[in-house]
Amino acid sequence: MTEPYLQVKNLNVSYAAIPALANVSIDLAKGERLAVIGESGSGKSTLAMAIAGLLPKQARSSGTIDFPGLSHSPKPGKDIGVLFQDPSGSLDPVMKIGDQIAEVAMTHQGISWIAARVRAAQLLDRVRIPKPLSRLNSYPHEFSGGQKQRIAMAAALAGNPSLLIADEPTSALDTVVQRHIVDLLDELVREAGLTLLFVTHDIALASERADTIAVLYQGRLVETGPTVRVLGEPEHPYTRALINTHISLDTPRAKRLAEINVADL
Amino acid sequence: MPPIVSFFLRRLLGALPVLVVVLVGSFLLLEAASGDAVDSYVARSGAMDAEQMAQLRQDWGLDKGPLYRFRAYATALAEGDLGWSTSFERPVASVIFERLPITLLLMGVATALAFSLGSFLGILAGASPGSFRDRFLSIASLAIYAVPGFWLGLVLIVIFAVDLRWLPVGGIETIASGKSGLARLGDIAAHLILPVASLAMVYLVLYLRLMRDRMSEIWRDPFVSALEARGISRSRIVWRHVARNAVLPVVTMLGLQAAAMLGGSVVVESVFAIPGFGRLAAEAVARRDTPLLLGVILCSAVTVIIANLLVDLAYGKLDPRVRAGR
Amino acid sequence: MNVWRRLNLEARIGAVMLSILVLMALLAPLIAPGDPLAITGEPMVRPFASEAHVLGTDRLGRDVLAGLLHGTRTTLLVAFFSAAAALIVGSIVGTLSGYLGGFADTVLMRITEAFQTVPGFLLALAAISVTGPSVPTLIFAISLGNWTQAARVTRAEVLSLRERDFVAAARTLGMRPLEIAFREILPNAFGPTVSLAAISVAAAILIEAALSFLGFGDPNRVTWGSMIAEGRTVLRAAPYLSIVPGIALVITVLSVHLIGRGLSRRERLVP
Ligand SMILES: Nc1ncnc2c1ncn2[C@@H]1O[C@H](COP(=O)(O)OP(=O)(O)O)[C@@H](O)[C@H]1O
Ligand SMILES: [Mg+2]
Repeated sequence: MTEPYLQVKNLNVSYAAIPALANVSIDLAKGERLAVIGESGSGKSTLAMAIAGLLPKQARSSGTIDFPGLSHSPKPGKDIGVLFQDPSGSLDPVMKIGDQIAEVAMTHQGISWIAARVRAAQLLDRVRIPKPLSRLNSYPHEFSGGQKQRIAMAAALAGNPSLLIADEPTSALDTVVQRHIVDLLDELVREAGLTLLFVTHDIALASERADTIAVLYQGRLVETGPTVRVLGEPEHPYTRALINTHISLDTPRAKRLAEINVADL
Repeated sequence: MPPIVSFFLRRLLGALPVLVVVLVGSFLLLEAASGDAVDSYVARSGAMDAEQMAQLRQDWGLDKGPLYRFRAYATALAEGDLGWSTSFERPVASVIFERLPITLLLMGVATALAFSLGSFLGILAGASPGSFRDRFLSIASLAIYAVPGFWLGLVLIVIFAVDLRWLPVGGIETIASGKSGLARLGDIAAHLILPVASLAMVYLVLYLRLMRDRMSEIWRDPFVSALEARGISRSRIVWRHVARNAVLPVVTMLGLQAAAMLGGSVVVESVFAIPGFGRLAAEAVARRDTPLLLGVILCSAVTVIIANLLVDLAYGKLDPRVRAGR
Repeated sequence: MNVWRRLNLEARIGAVMLSILVLMALLAPLIAPGDPLAITGEPMVRPFASEAHVLGTDRLGRDVLAGLLHGTRTTLLVAFFSAAAALIVGSIVGTLSGYLGGFADTVLMRITEAFQTVPGFLLALAAISVTGPSVPTLIFAISLGNWTQAARVTRAEVLSLRERDFVAAARTLGMRPLEIAFREILPNAFGPTVSLAAISVAAAILIEAALSFLGFGDPNRVTWGSMIAEGRTVLRAAPYLSIVPGIALVITVLSVHLIGRGLSRRERLVP
């Protein structure tokens, strides 16, 4: 086996003496798409933020997070792009979106402001914002939630990162939009050969898009492995329970989703 | 009609009811003051017997009822006639327009200074809330906030004009200096330094604190973590994002403070013997010149309304969300 | 003491400072008996130069310490009552405006706006010019420009309270609108208004000082503002005559602000 892109060993994180992650170890290969699933409060975001190097100040952590695939320690924005759950909270409300994307490109790629603006327009085009050149000068409030998440995606990719971390990037959006965003994310990851870690509570989504699944339960990694294996022959009772509740709750919605998608095409 | 013009017109129309209330208030004040226009006319032009005075009252409609008098007052105002100043023996309007520019200059410079320096220091404090620098600026600003401007003016005079002799004691320019052009401008600027400092200091620390408090709120906004995740440098986050967002409410305050600053100019101009609009108000009261006082009140209301209008315009330019909503 | 424990350090310092000032005001006739405006010694005695006049005497030979002590009385009296009057009037107007709504609201808010448009200091000057200067008229004049913020804050609070359960309950009990407004809503809306009290008191102190500095204060009472004005005539020879009462002013206003900040963590109206 080749050496992993990312190696997490014995990671412990606690907030004010309350543990949020206990002894989590996980490897991620280059180009792999990992889905982290688990119920709310199980520590998914904490894991994602620990890897991104963005834990809040009050968090205490131990263990190691290594990037053998990188020659240097990773820089936020340049090596790791992050996409958050709330698209409105990802953008500065009073700065033109073109400038918000361009400042990332300028910071990490050492290019001029004009070149950075051109790159911003290209990125907007890549995330399917229509008329990207003229939209450079628009402000976040002029876009819908889904569009804002696309713009946030453009900003996250502007530094050409090799790892993209997405923390429930679609759960604040309605279902139709969710699907479009996920498709786009998938496409961008494949195009650029990115490694992807995405947090979700949507098992259907994980089963469609992930190569590997990691299941978190009360801050512990209870199961991890290839998607087909984890969902097909779950070993841990918690994973089984998760799959069962999901199917009973979500089957009708998945059908509905499929219909809408057909009509959309 | 260009949108800016219609915006102006709409706002002026919206301010009309407020002006009417001010007008009614002024009229009531005029009625409450002892003596009427005939009394002051007599005081000005010399002796007149009771019969002549009654005749004059009849001619001027002063014997009619308060409603009639109010209409006459309002009509005169609408024609730009602010009445006759008994103490200056000139039309009120001409006295006011002679004095207003100096005060507008004083207030304009003081506002610019307070806003720019206050926000700058506020950004320094708000860049890292809770730091030593932040706490030092907070305590200093709280102490300065308690200092009355007129007293600060006296202290500054003692230090910079009496002891150090760096700056003039008062006035707006050296009398009969024979200076012109740039030299005269420099002279006026030297005269403005102390009064501007006295007038601006309170607002400077007010804006400092506003900016700082707003910034410490904005640091908790999720977009800041998003910027950190994108690797944007700390200084860029402070200046281009957090401060840029925090300055908006401070700009709103500029308009609200216009009235207070105009009030403050009354004492500061008295301290520095500046022949401005503010001191005119004190003079009007001291000389029992009611028409002049009313003129001053009306004009300051209009000044405040216009100042707020300008601030709203500036705010619209600064906040893209408002710009779109208009 | 429960209240004391809830105060933070700033507020405690402010409370101690203000208590000392109140004590000064109360004990003024004991420490410095007689008329503070009376001439009691040589003119222009420097501070700490004479035991009879610890802080010296002014241009006419009046004791500075006596003036300072008696000035505390005027300052606190005028400031407290005008702030109280402003808060009471403001919350009544705000309650009526917010509760009645419609045309009454429009009219009351236009009046409030008009009062905000004219500088408060000019309103005070105008009122004094009609009524003449005395303590009660000063209180009236100062509160004239000071009640609008209370009206706005109360109105906003009333608007948010109006739809609450207990108001609906009062309505079904058959209480009349005004009765509801003043017996049910006003007491509940008073909280945020009280946090304005410190600002009102501080503003009143400063306006009173400025008025008496300009010579529009009560001529029969000694005030810090009039002492500063008096000292100004000999500013070159004896700057301390203006500086000392000014320091008293700064300390008083600062103590009020410190208390206000401690009381109103939620709405930081004092910067
Ligand atoms: N900033 C924080 N301060 C204190 N506790 C936190 C913080 N963030 C998360 N937690 C706690 O850590 C645990 C894991 O949270 P999180 O990683 O957000 O879970 P998930 O993303 O799976 O919902 C939860 O119990 C949560 O309450
Ligand atoms: Mg989460």
